[in-house]
Amino acid sequence: MLPRWITAFYLAYLAIPIVLLMVGSFGSLWLNTVLPTGFTLAWYADVAADPSFRRAFVASLAVAAIACAACLAVGLPLAYAIFRARSKAIRSLARILYQLPVALPPLVLAFGFILVFSSDTLPWLGSIWLLAAGHIVLGLPYFLQTVVADMQRLGLRVLEDAAESLGSSGWQRFMHVVVPSLRHSILSGLIIVAALSLGEFQFSNLVAGFLNRTYPVVLLQAFYGATGFACAATVVLLLLALAAAVAGGVVSGGGSRLRSVPT
Amino acid sequence: MSAPAVSLEGVSFRYPGSEAGVHDIALTIAPGELVVCIGPSGCGKTTLLRLIAGFLVPDAGRIELAGRDVGALPTRVRECGVVFQSYALFPHMRVWENVAYPLRVRGVPVEERRKRALAMLEQVGLSGFAERLPAQLSGGQQQRVALGRALVFNPHALLLDEPLSALDAATRTTMRDEIRRIQRQHAIASLLITHDQDEALSLADRVVVMRDGRILQDAPPQAIYDAPTDAFVANFVGRANLMDGTAAGPAAIDTPLGRLRTREHGRKLGAPVRLLIRPERIELATDTAGENVFAAELSRDRFFGASRRIEVAVGGGHLEIETNARDTVRRIRIPPDAIQFLHDTQGGGTS
Repeated sequence: MLPRWITAFYLAYLAIPIVLLMVGSFGSLWLNTVLPTGFTLAWYADVAADPSFRRAFVASLAVAAIACAACLAVGLPLAYAIFRARSKAIRSLARILYQLPVALPPLVLAFGFILVFSSDTLPWLGSIWLLAAGHIVLGLPYFLQTVVADMQRLGLRVLEDAAESLGSSGWQRFMHVVVPSLRHSILSGLIIVAALSLGEFQFSNLVAGFLNRTYPVVLLQAFYGATGFACAATVVLLLLALAAAVAGGVVSGGGSRLRSVPT
Repeated sequence: MSAPAVSLEGVSFRYPGSEAGVHDIALTIAPGELVVCIGPSGCGKTTLLRLIAGFLVPDAGRIELAGRDVGALPTRVRECGVVFQSYALFPHMRVWENVAYPLRVRGVPVEERRKRALAMLEQVGLSGFAERLPAQLSGGQQQRVALGRALVFNPHALLLDEPLSALDAATRTTMRDEIRRIQRQHAIASLLITHDQDEALSLADRVVVMRDGRILQDAPPQAIYDAPTDAFVANFVGRANLMDGTAAGPAAIDTPLGRLRTREHGRKLGAPVRLLIRPERIELATDTAGENVFAAELSRDRFFGASRRIEVAVGGGHLEIETNARDTVRRIRIPPDAIQFLHDTQGGGTS
């Protein structure tokens, strides 16, 4: 009975702010009352019409897409190299190194970026590419963790040995065996990276500048305006996060269903 | 005699930074022959297989497949079908795609490779499973797919690394017969690695017993069992009564049991000898007639249904006896032809 109550309380704790945001985003007036009064869709129309929000929404999607593409291009070979590392010591060291960004606050990364990229030689602060570069650093640990764990679980090394004995070349092994057998973990790793990137505030707020602000950064500005507008703008971000979570759940659920058929 | 399909000469390999590996291995496998390599874990049997397959490169020696020195060739072009303990099926490919994979990388058109994969699946008894994913098959079925995949490209040799150890006991016996049937049908030179003596004796044309990276004995199953070269082989393959004695005459040995009549052994008077008596060769005696009859005192009696395993004290020694007789144990008889002479006089464990 107790676990059920704890679950219920926790769910309520999670849901109440979201529900209040939802309610607020549809309410026309919300001043010194428990719940807002009136019903309107105007706030959503305002958000959709606001050029800085439109711009930030597109920028966020672009940054997330670049971060995902780069994680795939860099992370997959890196994960493979870590998995295939000859000695256990190298594997452990690599793991410590690639997990480091998880423990560091994004603030530290942002300071580093500002120091390096505000100079005259590298004046890239505020560009969309630099934002994406930071998000890669923040997202890569999760991508690597997901993919390396799947490589170990699958026994990828034996699969590759098998493919090699059957006449498969290095490139064929990578394309026929490594990538397809890891497709679930690659996809869920990318979804984590996208979700992190879309919701990231600390780093982006410091590095973004004015031209290419991401959605969460612009969202902060909304709180200085009307409550309904702020709620509606936040719900948009919530929906994005929800989409990522659902996608992640579907991908990993699909993967485990495929693999857990009794033998 | 045709040229061997697999031939190893003076092959040595040591894992970097350790003593483990194999030393000075000489081994040949004739076309169509099934050689089973057996030994305790860490004896180098899997290393041997990985050397032949090309996963490891020997420090010294020569490896030939179908008469060709493959020392410089990578695994990919050695044409060895390998079956792994964990099956190693590609989880994202359907059963027929797994079997057809060697044909795919050889550029065989899709219709033909599907046809050949389906024919192979029928041979390994899996017709009707072609469209399934590996995870939807039982362990035994997965091993059949692995076997089909390893044979479909007509390799020079079939290498099986403990193919049965992940299966349950009932499936294991069936798969043992299946591997033998399919191996015979393809008449392919095969090396099977195992630590299971029943598997070794029942499957092999020849058994190779390994220990500490060396081959101790290489002989047909019956010779391994009936005439092991040393105490280790005697103990590892089957159960064994081992005892030390001294020659007391041209056909007599003094042992802790007493004086044993044996066949002519040709050893000098007083020379140390090591004897092997298989437990099932010792008889329960009801009278004192005949040779080598000793009074026995029962110390342990275990019943296994089809057989009964008895431990007795005889004179100053102990014997293990396997019998199906239900009689009370008072005396035992050791037929002189049941007594084997081992080459070594010391060393090796006794049990």
